[in-house]
Amino acid sequence: MRSFVRTWLAGGLVILLLLQGRAFAAPAASMSRTDVLAKLCAAGGQDVPSALRQMLDGAVDASAADRDWAKRVVQGFSTRSLRCADDGSAFLTGPGGAVNAATLAPGASPDGLRAPLPSLRTRALLEQLDAALTLFVAPAAADRLAAVHTLERRGDGLPPGLLRHALDAEHDAQIAAGLRGLIVAAGLHSPDIPERLAAIHALGRDPTSQVVTTLATLRADPGYAEPPGVAAALDQELTQARWWVRIGDGLSLAYNGVSAGSVLFLSSVGLAIIFGLMGVINLAQGELIMIGAYATFCVQQAMRSVAPSMLDWYPLVAIPVVFVVTALVGVAMELLVIRHLYRRPLMTLLATWAISLLLVNLVRVGFGTQNLEFQTPSYLTGGVRLVGDFLVTWNHMGAIAFALAAFAVTLALLRLTDIGLFIRTVTQNRAMAGCVGISTRRIDMAAFGFGAGLAGLAGLALSPIYNVNPTMGTGFIIDSFMVVVLGGVGSLFGTAVASLGIGLVNVGIEPFYGAVAAKVVALLLVILLIQRRPEGLIALKGRR
Amino acid sequence: MSSVFDRTASAITGLLLVMLIALLLLGHGMPVYLVNLAGQVMCFVLLAMAVDLMWGSAGILSLGHGLFFAIGGYIAAMHLLRTAFAATHVLPDFIQFMGNGGFPGWWALFDSSLFTALAVLVVPALAAFVFGYVSFRSRVNGVYFSIITQALTYTAMLLMFRNDTGFGGNNGMTGFHAIAGLPAGGGDAGVLLASLATAAVLVCLIGGRTLLASRFGRLLAAIRDDEPRLRFLGYNTLWLKLVAWCLSASVAGVAGALYVPQVGIINPSLLDPALSLEVAVWVAVGGRGGLCGAVLGATLINLLRSWMAASAPLLWPFVLSLLVLLVVLALPNGLLDMRNRSRGWMHSLLPAVGRPRP
Repeated sequence: MRSFVRTWLAGGLVILLLLQGRAFAAPAASMSRTDVLAKLCAAGGQDVPSALRQMLDGAVDASAADRDWAKRVVQGFSTRSLRCADDGSAFLTGPGGAVNAATLAPGASPDGLRAPLPSLRTRALLEQLDAALTLFVAPAAADRLAAVHTLERRGDGLPPGLLRHALDAEHDAQIAAGLRGLIVAAGLHSPDIPERLAAIHALGRDPTSQVVTTLATLRADPGYAEPPGVAAALDQELTQARWWVRIGDGLSLAYNGVSAGSVLFLSSVGLAIIFGLMGVINLAQGELIMIGAYATFCVQQAMRSVAPSMLDWYPLVAIPVVFVVTALVGVAMELLVIRHLYRRPLMTLLATWAISLLLVNLVRVGFGTQNLEFQTPSYLTGGVRLVGDFLVTWNHMGAIAFALAAFAVTLALLRLTDIGLFIRTVTQNRAMAGCVGISTRRIDMAAFGFGAGLAGLAGLALSPIYNVNPTMGTGFIIDSFMVVVLGGVGSLFGTAVASLGIGLVNVGIEPFYGAVAAKVVALLLVILLIQRRPEGLIALKGRR
Repeated sequence: MSSVFDRTASAITGLLLVMLIALLLLGHGMPVYLVNLAGQVMCFVLLAMAVDLMWGSAGILSLGHGLFFAIGGYIAAMHLLRTAFAATHVLPDFIQFMGNGGFPGWWALFDSSLFTALAVLVVPALAAFVFGYVSFRSRVNGVYFSIITQALTYTAMLLMFRNDTGFGGNNGMTGFHAIAGLPAGGGDAGVLLASLATAAVLVCLIGGRTLLASRFGRLLAAIRDDEPRLRFLGYNTLWLKLVAWCLSASVAGVAGALYVPQVGIINPSLLDPALSLEVAVWVAVGGRGGLCGAVLGATLINLLRSWMAASAPLLWPFVLSLLVLLVVLALPNGLLDMRNRSRGWMHSLLPAVGRPRP
């Protein structure tokens, strides 16, 4: 807060000074206009670098008028609209006629003017000078930001103080942050040792892997680390930065694992409930996810045409719609097909596969095969960097939050409601449940609908992360089944634990050995686990 | 399963014999595409029979027979690449990309046709043994087993899609030069392969039905109907299942080894779980048990597919899925049920005593 106020005060002061400068409009001694123009116009172009250098050095203390003038001359020179006359005068030509290059007063330009050609060697310097001047004179923040990015590439040899002056005048937070980064980068190579040390410590305050690379490169340079204190400071910051980066990497691995696990949980919880209850593997589970994503898309398109101003909130509107649509598809599947295959579980595999084939091709005919384009809501884009390179992305955070909510709702439904009680009863012992008067058929239907609705919600949660197309569901069934086997049939906690486990294993192995190795390891783990615990990690107690 | 040759089996055997003789005598005069179609369909029939051997008799549904099919195919392709190299001295592209300057040393084994034939029989059976042992030992069965076989195939597909696995990656292996001395892709090679495939189907049908009618077959049926009781009676069902499972894998391997030279390429798409699932669909449509249904189902669906691929390719998935739903809901044991249905609807209303349970 204090630095904020200070920046404002400094900014106000600079503006005052600038106004004063404008009032007197005396050309600064360091930037003699005629001298610069003469060097730019000199035949052969040998003096051009010297002229540019003179402008760059002068820009630090120059008046606003001089900076404006320098910017126009530099632009004119690089676009070759600066014309030189033989008598030493120069003109800037443009669509509105020519102006005298020294005074910027309109004046007719004589014929036969020569346009000096910027050589390739001066290009870097020209670009740097243009960017430096833009920092001061450009009214649009975007232009100044672009100038900062240019200087990030071409920051070597900037006159001392220039960036600090620009920072004092700057009131856009993003540009100011960029400038501070530039000042630190420049300070690293400053001949002034305390300034250098300050820059090193400033760099170490926000450690990323890039900072570690920079520091390590400097440390490896014997000439750089020679002055007293520099090597020690480098070592200290380097050790600390490495630690933070390592912690950040660990956290980001865990975060990605949890987010992958959440997606797995969402896609497999419906499968787990249905399998536990009916002993049926629904091979169309992935297609229900796909339908959920397409329903989300339809909601988005509808909102786009009906209430474009509310478009950002389409995921919330989509939640009930998607749940109902996919649950209805699920209930229809149960009523029309699964119910009739009650005692033939292997045939339900084929039947649900046929349904998945049918759904994929219906969607393909209806929507086409291309990936759908989703408008990611503003609150799900971007993220915040916490430690090291650990970036908390909002879309993954959304998936995690969604999975948590789905877990809580499912748990509440199973534990607190009558229908949840019936579902648990039928899962434990179907025959006995039937004997005490529970309509097992209706429970099957309701559970199938609920499981399908959860799959649809998984599609909704996946829409900002995955490619949504008709075949997106095919990959899910195998991973989801692994989760169900690992977690134990009919156990919600088991499903959650197994999803997180497989998600973490996948994410932990993938960067080092590739996605295939991750799948192989997951499969081996499941097969090994079945050897020891055929009922899964968390076995349901009860007689069957 | 009272006799090896009931009416359906005799009819199918007769038709296959006629087809084999026709191929051998008139094959060179037939259009090449027809011969190739017959040969490829026979390979799929063989694959379907391998699945039916487990599903129809022992009640164990494999959704991963594409793995054994592909193993057979890759072995055949390795042999053909070695012979092509011996003839042309041009290394296949993917071997050049690997940058080892030649085939891996152990590929030299596949120079021998005899070794290749042996490998086609043994390697799929070995793979099946390892996987079957760990699964059957821990009494994984039913839907669990089916899905784990599917996961296995899926994992194998991902593995083979990688270029550094060493089997051509996603481009697969192609560029076969000659098949048993006949130029690859020519009519003569096609007739040879189609005849071989037909003969293999015949051998498998007769041999398989004999096996199923034997004591071993009756034990498999007992596993299907009540495995715990068989175990209590003192039979080691683990080894009974394993023998049938490995046999089935070998048959699938032979099918793959005959299929790949006909299409001239093998790539990991053969390991797509969808293909393995479709094989089960062929069997379900034809009717499980006794291998005849597998022959019928695989032939009919594949002919229908190749006909629709030309006339209405977009409609095919709809036709296939609706056909499966129809069969699953209305004809629990596939087209073979038509025989029973034709005797009168009264029959189907009676409880299905003695019918194989899934």
